[in-house]
Amino acid sequence: MFMKNNSDITNLGDLLGDIEPGKIVLLYGPPKVGKSIFCYQFLYSGLKGGEPCLYIAADYGLRQLEQRMMEFNWFLQPYIQSGEVYIIDILTRLAGVKIGDSNAVKFSSVQNLADLMVKVGVGTRSLFRKSSKFRAVLDSLTMIFAFNPPNLVLRLMKAYKNRVSEANGIGLVVHTTGTVEPQFETSLMELADFKICFDGKSIQVESSAGKKSAQYTITDEGIKCWGIE
Amino acid sequence: MIVRISSGIPGLDKLIGGGGGSLAENTVTLIYGPPKVGKSIFSYQFAYEGLVNDEPCLYVSTDYGLKDLERNVANFGWKVEEYVGSENFYLIDAISTISGVEVSSTLNYFPSSVYNPTDIMVKLGVAIRQIKSKSPRFRSVLDSLTTLMAFNDELLVVRVLTIYIMRIKESGGTAIVTYTEGSADSKVENMLKAIVDNIIHLDGENLTVEAMVGSGKLKAHYNITSSGIVVD
Repeated sequence: MFMKNNSDITNLGDLLGDIEPGKIVLLYGPPKVGKSIFCYQFLYSGLKGGEPCLYIAADYGLRQLEQRMMEFNWFLQPYIQSGEVYIIDILTRLAGVKIGDSNAVKFSSVQNLADLMVKVGVGTRSLFRKSSKFRAVLDSLTMIFAFNPPNLVLRLMKAYKNRVSEANGIGLVVHTTGTVEPQFETSLMELADFKICFDGKSIQVESSAGKKSAQYTITDEGIKCWGIE
Repeated sequence: MIVRISSGIPGLDKLIGGGGGSLAENTVTLIYGPPKVGKSIFSYQFAYEGLVNDEPCLYVSTDYGLKDLERNVANFGWKVEEYVGSENFYLIDAISTISGVEVSSTLNYFPSSVYNPTDIMVKLGVAIRQIKSKSPRFRSVLDSLTTLMAFNDELLVVRVLTIYIMRIKESGGTAIVTYTEGSADSKVENMLKAIVDNIIHLDGENLTVEAMVGSGKLKAHYNITSSGIVVD
């Protein structure tokens, strides 16, 4: 998932190990603990390592996403131009901004999950043709839950999971804890093959291979962790 | 890389940014806490700081109409004529109409209603277009979400806030929104915290920066003086 060698100053590679393609990773935790930063890091390390990525921007529009990544010196623009990243922006239209789709950037709506799934289908097919493995990030479910009934969001997640695993991708999905009724959170947990919990101080990882944990901090270079157990 | 703008609160810029501004530009900050701890005063200071530096301000007021705002601000000895009512000050007044006051819109005064968040968003769009033609950057205040929630479904208010945030950020604005702690369901409160960029908590004694783009958690004592909030 992250490089496991000396150049990986973040230690995330050691903490997370190898995640098999076709799996869904649920990243959850309270607001403002670094979940989005982890997504940017996951996205950028994939792109740098030659794995294309599907990114569903559901917390920030494309412009904000680029701006926030730049704070860490992660530049998205070259990958948008080369088509290695396929972005579905479901928020910018809410601002009343009229922008057309391009090859690598599609605009959809947080209120129209059917359209989102169509675009996910097109995106996963196009990335699947480019590379035998790719990454998919959905950051996050918070706004999607604010605009849609929770049962519909769960159906979206099931469809999304199928799409990503059929295309042999690794899907990272972000959820802010405490924003929906507990039973829907339980269902989300059940859908995931791999779970990562951020609480502001430590990261807990849970998968079929067992549990691991580490302390973490957010630096100019992204998330760094230590004390892996 | 992070551009920070001045909050207008003495002491806060030093606490967060070492003196060169505090709130990250083009982000949205949630100011929350119990009633009567200075959330609206924080809003006035933030808006005033922009106005004295010739930055337009778009103020969405659900608690006070124009007259009340003028009076509240005058209490702190600020030059009202340079503040409320100036051509850089755009006000969406969502409360005067429901108290039965006769008001008519002008180029920078937009009466709306807390009962009608859609109308508030339409007026917001109109105001932002005017501001954008004047200035590439501006400030905005939404004071408060609590009142909107009292008149509408809470999740609808979250959706309206999402639209507000997207519009402000896409247009180059920097905003603060206020919310009274504990007035909504905890799920809604978590959502609010998730969709803003920065979070500042006020409790009457201490100001806690719970989240701020590019900086960690910070805490300092504050007082409300005759010239507004002052952070030690």
